[in-house]
Amino acid sequence: MKRRELLTGVKGKATFEPHIASPGVARFTNALLRTQENQEVRFYDDLIRGKQVVVNFMYAECHGACPMVTSTLIKAYQALKPRMGRDVFFYSITVKPETDTPEALKHYAKTRRADLPGWLFLTGDAYDIETIRFRLFGMYHPGFDLDSAMHAGTLRIINDATNCWTTVEAFASLKTILKHISWADPPKSYAERWAESIARQELINKEVKRYGYRRFA
Amino acid sequence: MPSKKAKHRKVVGKKKSDRTISRRDVLKIGAAAGAVTVLAPSMLTSRKAFASGDPAEPVICATAPANSPPTTPFRDTFTAPFPAIPQDLYPAPTKARNESGGEAERADHQRWDDFLPDIEYELEARASTHTFHSDYSPSYIWGFNGKYPAPTVLNIYEHPTIVRFRNNLPLTTTTFGRNEITIHLHNGHHGSESDGFAGDFFGTGFWKDNHYVNVYAGYDAIPPEGDAKEAMHSFWFHDHRAAFTANNNYLGLNGMFLVYDSKDPGHEFNTPGSLRLPCYYGITDFPLILTDKIFCATANGRTELFNAVGGAAPGGDKWIVNGKIQPKLTVRRRKYRFRILNTGPAKTYDLTLIKPDGSVGTMTVVATDANFLEHPIPVDAGANAGNSNSTTAPIVAGGLRVSVAERYDVIIDFAQFPHGSKVYLKENAPQFVGVASPVTLPTGLAIENVLMQFNVVNREPWFPADTPAIPSTLCTYPTLPATDNSFEWQFVRDPVGTVPRLFKINGLAFDAAVPVHSIVQGQTEEWLLNNNVGGSAWVHPVHIHFEEFRVLKRFVNGVEVPVPPLMTGRKDVMRLEAGQGALIKMQFRDFLGRYLIHCHNMNHEDAFMMVRWDIVPDALALRESQQLMLAHRREEEERLAEVAREERRLRKEEVS
Repeated sequence: MKRRELLTGVKGKATFEPHIASPGVARFTNALLRTQENQEVRFYDDLIRGKQVVVNFMYAECHGACPMVTSTLIKAYQALKPRMGRDVFFYSITVKPETDTPEALKHYAKTRRADLPGWLFLTGDAYDIETIRFRLFGMYHPGFDLDSAMHAGTLRIINDATNCWTTVEAFASLKTILKHISWADPPKSYAERWAESIARQELINKEVKRYGYRRFA
Repeated sequence: MPSKKAKHRKVVGKKKSDRTISRRDVLKIGAAAGAVTVLAPSMLTSRKAFASGDPAEPVICATAPANSPPTTPFRDTFTAPFPAIPQDLYPAPTKARNESGGEAERADHQRWDDFLPDIEYELEARASTHTFHSDYSPSYIWGFNGKYPAPTVLNIYEHPTIVRFRNNLPLTTTTFGRNEITIHLHNGHHGSESDGFAGDFFGTGFWKDNHYVNVYAGYDAIPPEGDAKEAMHSFWFHDHRAAFTANNNYLGLNGMFLVYDSKDPGHEFNTPGSLRLPCYYGITDFPLILTDKIFCATANGRTELFNAVGGAAPGGDKWIVNGKIQPKLTVRRRKYRFRILNTGPAKTYDLTLIKPDGSVGTMTVVATDANFLEHPIPVDAGANAGNSNSTTAPIVAGGLRVSVAERYDVIIDFAQFPHGSKVYLKENAPQFVGVASPVTLPTGLAIENVLMQFNVVNREPWFPADTPAIPSTLCTYPTLPATDNSFEWQFVRDPVGTVPRLFKINGLAFDAAVPVHSIVQGQTEEWLLNNNVGGSAWVHPVHIHFEEFRVLKRFVNGVEVPVPPLMTGRKDVMRLEAGQGALIKMQFRDFLGRYLIHCHNMNHEDAFMMVRWDIVPDALALRESQQLMLAHRREEEERLAEVAREERRLRKEEVS
């Protein structure tokens, strides 16, 4: 496998094997999508299988939430840089595939400095995209699901290797967003969690000593 | 008992090593699993290699079934969950975190020396199975000590208690549950480190001691046991893991917690101060723990709970009472007490008592959310119809509306019915049954609406005699001091401008690190809770941790309306339907730290309709806390403003 492929995640081999209970193609679909580089990708096999991903919906001409979400994701990207394109990937999928060609998405990504390895802007068949939106963001509630704008402020975080799914509001603080992404991290050993717990305890003790109660830790 | 302790230590040690699984091991398991996908069920069973005793992980149906499998009504008997057994904990509980013993990180217990623990329990969260109906095979659940509902903790005021919550949930699961827990006692008055703060969850292999002081609020003003007017009795405990509360509760991590005192002593003898209400746990006094679930078709010896990873907790088509579907209970011709608790995750119940002739019977409410009412409030469809709190659509005559996390203690007098009669508890929304009723139901009652059946029989000589009439005055409430401060909380789902939002409070999502409001310890505040943003059609049962509140005013679309009878008592859950608001008043005494206000529809809560507020020691800490909040908000605003500026610049460039 070429290093370039690994970095962009396109047709790269999955970093991890899927979780035993991963719903796989049955839930994610294996729809054929196009990246901003006009590369054909299969949604499950190439983009989801064994990876930890952050998915959001946007469109290039959106003046409301999308640029803010993109900017938040850039900040998150910087914080996660060592992992980006290796086991963590960002996917921004357009809800207006009729107008958002790969070129339009490339332009959007470039102008917003979001054309980064491990972050794909995706377009494809409108029916496929609608299906993916329902499968990933569906809350079994017509009030949410029928209005595509209702999902625009939401980031979907999925790790196919641990079968962990979570959601975070794109307008939450960066700290909250990174915390949510970390909730989908591969499981840590008891020893690792033990070390983290000890580190947190030190912070707690310091704070309680200083303020009389636990404040931030 | 040195030998017992040595044995215990050995077991703990073994579990720890069993559960130490490296990332490399996870990869290996993952690789093996991928290679033999066809043999998936047998691979799942092999997980027993490192978690002996756990049931095999469930194979859950891929899509929501149209209906759960049918069940025969009244096949199973309704029982109270077993009481939890007190024990000597080893290692013994300590004020500071017991790091080497494997306790999760926490601040020192507040007021430890004032309330050295008397009674100790251990509740272990683990995977297990539970049979929800005898027509079903066992279902995979997560339960405390492997039970659903959890064992009930029966406690007494003035006996400080430690409950050690041990997390032995599986390392990897096929359910939508999250193997990290933080247990909230709803609505205990104790330190923040024992309050199950949503951000303080701990993973598999750790445990944590929650220190329940079991004193009335107002301890600082009235030592040694606090203000007896603050007495609370029907508590419940449940997992509060941020973003996964609904999932973990749907899988079964909740239970009842009763605290007795002289008024409500756990017996019916004529002792000083006793109200002499029906009070023998599991004999004349039953918790009624309600939840709704949907089941997959029975396969491979299991009837699994349907849930989908990534989904919210699904709405059920089976109403479950104390872990059973449509159970029956034999009652003697005397008074009984039912402590109704709705554990959600989202459904609201409208309950009525249906007499053998089909008319609505009387349920006398004696307590709302763990607090006795000053005067009992009878609810029925006749003379007391005005007391019903089922006053917005769907209006149910004589209905008792119970939203998630609300508790109503009701007394039902079965002496009014002849021997051999059958009385029913009805839920207004129909469930799926699929089997005809084995008995003729009262006129107008469909089997789908039956929650449970009471078979009335004569009292045998050995059965406790009836209690005296319910006293007309149950308690007197404490007088609240003058208000020091006020604050407003807005519960919103709708988009703000063009920006769509998730469920939020005051436009903010849950951030474990930043409070939204701070209060100096000992102060009294008036809070305005509002769900009146135009177009909002959501119901939010708002829960405030730590202390009970009184409702001063109530609003519908901004217009003041009288406070309904069932909201005149002390409460800790305020149901806000679309357009509704309430002005409440509460105190913040005795302890410090981080607490929560949130919508108790657990799916809303997981979508982060929850924020943190703090009790701080003094005015200086309050100022610091407010500065922190302001700085945080300014930072966020600046970030968004910067994005908006950048966006405008880009648009201009594109146009030119």
